Amino acid sequence: MIRLHTSFGPITITLDAEKAPKTAANFIEYVKKGHYDGTIFHRVIDGFMIQGGGFAPGMKQKPTGAPVENEAGNGLRNDKYTVAMARTSDPHSASAQFFINVADNAFLNHTAPTAQGWGYCVFGKVTEGMDVVDRIRAVATGRSGMHSDVPREDVLIERAEVIG
Amino acid sequence: MAGAASTDPLPVQLAGLARVELRDPLFISDLHLNAAAPATLARFIRFCSEEAAAHAELAILGDLFEYWIGDDTLDDEADTVSRQVAAALRALSDRGVRVFVMHGDRDLLLGAGFLRATGAQLLADPAVASIGGRELLLAHGDAWCTQDVEYMRFRANVRQEATQRQFLAGPRAARLAFMGAARAQSEAGKRAKAMQIMDVTPSEIDHALRASGKRLLIHGHTHRPAVHRFALDGEPAERRVLPDWDFDAQPSRGGAIGVKNGELANLPLAG
Repeated sequence: MIRLHTSFGPITITLDAEKAPKTAANFIEYVKKGHYDGTIFHRVIDGFMIQGGGFAPGMKQKPTGAPVENEAGNGLRNDKYTVAMARTSDPHSASAQFFINVADNAFLNHTAPTAQGWGYCVFGKVTEGMDVVDRIRAVATGRSGMHSDVPREDVLIERAEVIG
Repeated sequence: MAGAASTDPLPVQLAGLARVELRDPLFISDLHLNAAAPATLARFIRFCSEEAAAHAELAILGDLFEYWIGDDTLDDEADTVSRQVAAALRALSDRGVRVFVMHGDRDLLLGAGFLRATGAQLLADPAVASIGGRELLLAHGDAWCTQDVEYMRFRANVRQEATQRQFLAGPRAARLAFMGAARAQSEAGKRAKAMQIMDVTPSEIDHALRASGKRLLIHGHTHRPAVHRFALDGEPAERRVLPDWDFDAQPSRGGAIGVKNGELANLPLAG
């Protein structure tokens, strides 16, 4: 399990290393390296998802490692409180950024091994701190440079750790 | 300047349709198309040739564009976004899909030139749609964000014919510069408060539904997609809020509302 100590409280994520082995290992690697310490949830859209793990306060993008294979075909669905990897329009481009679904987002699920249908790989779910997720999804947001939906006040991941 | 759009006398205050009969519509809003969002533009163009092409009507309930400073945009060689959008809508119209456009707060200067270029018809805000005998209210939604006093003042001003006449009468370069300055200012966060979109005031929704005698409503603007079901004067009422589009961020988001088995249904769009 992973615990994210956020400025809104702790969030515990239980990983599914069986169904998403590469993605879970990739995430643990970033946690152990301290990559997520001092990053923010930089894209918050109530009714959709909250996304983080790629930026320090001030929308400073952090360097990341090699992309991980997209395991979205594992049957895990982008349901409320599941955790999935963010990526670019290239299906196999996820590195460090992840998001927590705050609604059942069926249209993010894998439908076909194509650029349009690959979907987003779910690799875990929030098992404690749903209330924290709910408080984060409700924060006020606005534009920051090229980015939309950026919280007006930083939602900080102070520290991430591997537990249990 | 050449082209059809620039021959219109300014200003172009148009009366939109207050009532439409629809058979099998798709509703969208808040695409905020602009050159800085190429993936969203590409998705819209694909949407026109795929999803929308399979329907009888496409109704755009405001903010198709991030901004619109006049129909002479279509004559501007440098503005490729507007012409790609117009061509996609024109192709849709030509294949028999009826296209309806409502003004949003960002593109309320869409005028007769744009309508002629696209084959679209203007919808009044609000308008009543009848789908298979079922009636519903359509609106952009910004008129109901009455708690944002500053915005309501701004809205009242920019909706005045005199304000629009004065703005449109200026040279295009000046209008572009004005828009650029306004955008730069908001980017810098000076108008942070004003740019924050407030939600609608529930009592305003109740009032609009009562006044129109409807119990079903679709609107956009707030970027808070949802289905709200509630009771109004003892009758079940439903308010559906359209999603805004952003296919330049991943995961992307965007969608439409259509009709499935006689009921309104959300149609999320994959990237």
